[in-house]
Amino acid sequence: MQETRYRFILVQRLLGGWTVFKENPLGIAGIVLLTVFALMALASFFVPLLGPMYNPMTGVDPAISHATAPSWRHPLGTDFIGRDIFTQLLEGAKIAFMVGLSAAFISIVLGTIIGMIAGYTGGITDTLLMRISDMVMVMPSLVILLILAALFGQLSIWTIVLLIALLRWPAVARVIRSQTLSLKHRPFIEAARVSGASHLRVLFRHIMPNVLPLSFLYMTFRVTSAILVEAALAFLGFGDPSQVSWGMMLQWVWKSGHMFQAPYWLLPPGICISLLTLSFYMLGRAMDEVLDPRLRKEEPS
Amino acid sequence: MNIYRYIFQRLIEIAVIFFIIMSILFVLFRLAPGDPVSRMVDPMMTPEDELHLISQLGLDRPLGIQYAYYLKNFFTGHFGVSFHYGEPVHRIILNRLPNTILLFTTSTILAALAGVFLGKIAAWRKGSRLDTTLTIGALVCHTLFVPWFALMLIWLLGYKVGWFPLTGILSPELWIDPNAGFLLKLLDVLHHMLLPLMTLFMIQLGSYLLLMRSSMLGTLREDYIVTARAKGLTEKEIRNRHAARNAALPVITSIGLSLAFSINGGALTETIFTWPGIGKELVFAVGNNDYPLAQACFLLIAAVVLVANLIVDVLYAYLDPRIRY
Amino acid sequence: MTLLAVENLSVGYRTRQGLLKAVDGVSFRLDRGKSLGFVGESGCGKTTIGMALLRLLPANAEVLGGRMLFRDRDLMQLSAAEMRQVRWKDIATIFQAAMNALNPVVRVYDQIREAIETHLINLTPADTAARIENLFALVGIPHKRMHDFPHQYSGGMKQRAVIAMALACHPAVIIADEPTTALDVIVQDQILKEIKTIQDEFHIGLIFISHDIGVVAAVCHDIAVMYAGQIVETGKREEVFERPLHPYTRLLLSSHLSIDHTPTAVNLDSGATPNLMHPPPGCRFYSRCPLAESACADNAPVWIEGSRTHRALCNKSRSRRT
Repeated sequence: MQETRYRFILVQRLLGGWTVFKENPLGIAGIVLLTVFALMALASFFVPLLGPMYNPMTGVDPAISHATAPSWRHPLGTDFIGRDIFTQLLEGAKIAFMVGLSAAFISIVLGTIIGMIAGYTGGITDTLLMRISDMVMVMPSLVILLILAALFGQLSIWTIVLLIALLRWPAVARVIRSQTLSLKHRPFIEAARVSGASHLRVLFRHIMPNVLPLSFLYMTFRVTSAILVEAALAFLGFGDPSQVSWGMMLQWVWKSGHMFQAPYWLLPPGICISLLTLSFYMLGRAMDEVLDPRLRKEEPS
Repeated sequence: MNIYRYIFQRLIEIAVIFFIIMSILFVLFRLAPGDPVSRMVDPMMTPEDELHLISQLGLDRPLGIQYAYYLKNFFTGHFGVSFHYGEPVHRIILNRLPNTILLFTTSTILAALAGVFLGKIAAWRKGSRLDTTLTIGALVCHTLFVPWFALMLIWLLGYKVGWFPLTGILSPELWIDPNAGFLLKLLDVLHHMLLPLMTLFMIQLGSYLLLMRSSMLGTLREDYIVTARAKGLTEKEIRNRHAARNAALPVITSIGLSLAFSINGGALTETIFTWPGIGKELVFAVGNNDYPLAQACFLLIAAVVLVANLIVDVLYAYLDPRIRY
Repeated sequence: MTLLAVENLSVGYRTRQGLLKAVDGVSFRLDRGKSLGFVGESGCGKTTIGMALLRLLPANAEVLGGRMLFRDRDLMQLSAAEMRQVRWKDIATIFQAAMNALNPVVRVYDQIREAIETHLINLTPADTAARIENLFALVGIPHKRMHDFPHQYSGGMKQRAVIAMALACHPAVIIADEPTTALDVIVQDQILKEIKTIQDEFHIGLIFISHDIGVVAAVCHDIAVMYAGQIVETGKREEVFERPLHPYTRLLLSSHLSIDHTPTAVNLDSGATPNLMHPPPGCRFYSRCPLAESACADNAPVWIEGSRTHRALCNKSRSRRT
């Protein structure tokens, strides 16, 4: 069946893609960094077990009640009320992954569905959906989140995730739409239609599996913007106060006036945010090269 | 297609879109928890002022009429009175808008020019060390966390070295001084502007560079580049006259798209440097529960985004002969 | 007078898997006022030859050996600056389907003017303008369309503009690579006639590259048939067309003379295309040759003569019979 052959080719291409990917130093660097951060996030589950002192939110060292420089007990020092900064950093990694991956996942789901419908249906639905997508894509997400915070008060972390996803699906939708458009006229789709499959069935049973790999590959770029927006929101003081994210840490160091005296507090969260987003981005670009052969090193035609 | 018709079509489009945005905001305003009236009208005002404002904003009327008032008020500039400043909102906006425009347009233009220039070079020398450095540099800039970068700049250049003021747009002592000339005041503003400008410049530079680079790489594969080379043109002529002119076009369209990204960054930058612009007022207003000011800032930003996109699209239509003719 | 003499030219592409020899030991001559056609399927190396002559090969390709002499100057020995002067002024090109051969954001007039100003620096602006106008008239593009942008031209007009541009500096040699492939049949016919007329009138040495032997036979005095990086048959147009020596030539001709008259590529169903990275010791056409014998696989083919001007690369003594 042509469809199975198409999927087989896809798998082959993915494996071939790995060879290309391997040669891209950025991609490798991205994966290495991501592994480091993932380990950090995992560690955050275990470190508080060392003792109540190390709880990122409430763990106060009975001996210390103000900001201190790094020491043996506290590898990165303590914040202005005596909490261990290193634990906070680990917790922040966990939050970052959580926010990034969930927001990206939701926007992928949304974007894929909308993109598929737009590409498959065509006509007015397509134009309308693409217009909406253009509109949403152009809007600055932070600003929108701010006005929503003004109206609805403190936003919980999951609300933030959902809202970010609602603002970030258009880019995915566009890619999926063009992929759907190219698949729409393939023989195996027409064969399915002719044999009586309903539109919905064609869409979800035949088109979606072939489009999904693309969605996931573009997930990496969604992750970066989600992490940055959440961090910015937390930094400004409108994040979820019950979550210790890196943005929140930066807010504390800023607002508590320790900015200039405590580089051990100021530097790590910011570096982490930048490095994590950078590694996702590098990963995404390396995968981009795999997907779009034109970006690779030249080969003879 | 006629370029005037194109502009007209787009104007209608953005009017519709803006209308939709305003309506959504209105609905949300009504849906939000709490008393809508006390959100718009400061309960601390004197009763007469309060009543006056309420009737001006139409808050005592039924929903449908209220909506009409809402629209009318926006276009006549009645945004209510700011809780925090105690002044009519439009006055605050008018005061802050030029500051934002100054900072924003300068940084965007500089970043676009630098990005196009460097992206062109990076693509031309693809694979070289220069290219790798530029690409990685652009990637880092693009994923930089704005507040952190801004704080670092303040810490290093403002605090440690003391070269730049830490906040604000001007030094009050200078401006009160009647003897200070215009030039001195201008320099003072520029002095204050440098750090926020650098911040905004860096975060935008990355995306322009990367985009120009990939656009250029695509252009360099086109047949007309081979033709240009076959014609015996020098590499420099080919690069600038043929490749860059084509490659720069998609970058122009991208200015509109990256506006969302740069406005986010702009709001953060203004807040951290306490640069008195629309972004900073928005953030502070949200923090102070000053809804009238927040709403006005938001709508203004939305309008600017739409108009800016229109300008960019028209510019592109003008520059690309395939659309104009 | 001999304009071009190519001796034993070999060109290779560096790929991830190794060195791919796209052109292997090709030799030919081009005289003034004559036209030489290169025919073969895609991948046979004909385009590479054209690129190599102008030293326009992509970064991963290199000339492995041989000489290319233009008016007795070795093109490989020229400096970059000297080569730039040779380009277009002495040797010009017409590419396939001028779809993209012209810069979309520059007016056609200006692109031709650029070619003239680069090489004929002593012309006054008035002379340049007159020259350009003559060129447009020559190829039949109306004056009022001179200042248009490329996308405003039809396919045929674009190709004519490209021809006009190629003639701008009165080159001695023109390399035309699939100049009519993307055009519809009627326009194709017109363009071919024009190319032929121009070539005769200006005594230009023409190298015509195509996969369509019919087109080549219509335009060229001499034909060189290429397969897998080698020239397998060469001779005058009548000789090759009416008395083909090489089995591959015969296959090309038979597919050309098919009932619906559509020039098609050769059937690929029998045998595999040869591996250009590790070419077989024997004849490269072995796997698809209807006349193949087991000896052909091991012995490199030799040149057999049909006439003083006509020869082919084949092992078979039988194919000596016409």
